[in-house]
Amino acid sequence: MVNLKNVSPPSEGIRCNQGEITAVWNGEGLGPGTLYIAETCVSWFDGSGMGFSLKYPSISLHAISRDFTAYPGEHLYVMVNTKLNDKCAEEEDNESTDDDCNADSISPVTEIRFVPSDKATLEPMFSAISECQALHPDPEDSDSDFEGDEYDVEEAEQGQIDLPTFYNFEEGLSQLTLEGQATLERLEGMLADSASQKHHCMAGVRPEDTPTGCCNGISLKCIRMWSALLCICTWVMFIRACNGKRK
Amino acid sequence: MEVSHSIRERTIAENSLVILLQGLQGEVTTVDLRDESTARGRVVNVDAFMNVRLEEVLYRDRRGRLSQLADLFITARNVRYVHIPDHVDIMETIQTQLTRIRRVRNFAGEKRGRKEYLKKKN
Repeated sequence: MVNLKNVSPPSEGIRCNQGEITAVWNGEGLGPGTLYIAETCVSWFDGSGMGFSLKYPSISLHAISRDFTAYPGEHLYVMVNTKLNDKCAEEEDNESTDDDCNADSISPVTEIRFVPSDKATLEPMFSAISECQALHPDPEDSDSDFEGDEYDVEEAEQGQIDLPTFYNFEEGLSQLTLEGQATLERLEGMLADSASQKHHCMAGVRPEDTPTGCCNGISLKCIRMWSALLCICTWVMFIRACNGKRK
Repeated sequence: MEVSHSIRERTIAENSLVILLQGLQGEVTTVDLRDESTARGRVVNVDAFMNVRLEEVLYRDRRGRLSQLADLFITARNVRYVHIPDHVDIMETIQTQLTRIRRVRNFAGEKRGRKEYLKKKN
């Protein structure tokens, strides 16, 4: 026995609205009524305003059946994965528990057939449910979600959105404050110093592919410096010696 | 074979194996459902969320009863297996689908596509 509720039809997002639809619930005919296919749910109401509402996550599959052995008449077949007595929405969700765990045992299933008087409406109804079903992807399926910053790859490629990027040289330079410029100069100076010291200190460890001109230039400088130092020391010693001799 | 019009679905498809299933459009194959029923028919469409749409379907429910369905839409959650037909080259199918997606994207990106769907940058 199906319990119909006095639920109001969906107020917005209605994709398809068909009258003269007979509902058959697990083989039990419910008489003619109106079918509302909305973005939130699929609802059906009979003449007296009593009906039921199906949430998309509970719909396992839906189909157009033209097979008269299954049911004498073309109809829209909907399989719902819970044993519904058509209580209110919260209870439905609670009842649709671990079908995964009950894989071995037979999980409860409800078969609903919507038989229209106008068979031409079958295709649009089927398409409407399909489209709305796509609006409710499985929240447990984490594969289709992306972690991290979401942005449309395509929009980015079309230059439609601002991607987080680095400045290029000119842009970056123009964005610097006075303080920033001073910091940059200091850092660059430090870099230059450490570069020259690197060549000074790298005893015997010289990369093969250093440009010879550069390296030789700096080592010449070193040699000159050392020789200058040597000269000075020699000269000082000479003078001392001379002074010593004089005394 | 059509590529989805939704940027979001194209992005999802490009990054998951559902792109292989999308490449099966037009093929006749069998889908095993979670409740151990099976559906054999021609693949009309598989979306990025793996909802499968078949036509001309022979549906065997879990009790073994057969019925014919003209059009069948299986919610992704209820798909257990999709059989890949033997004659389908998996790598080639994936490559072809990827090319199609990128072609759609480049077509729009090089200012050759339909402008009315591009969002204005303000």
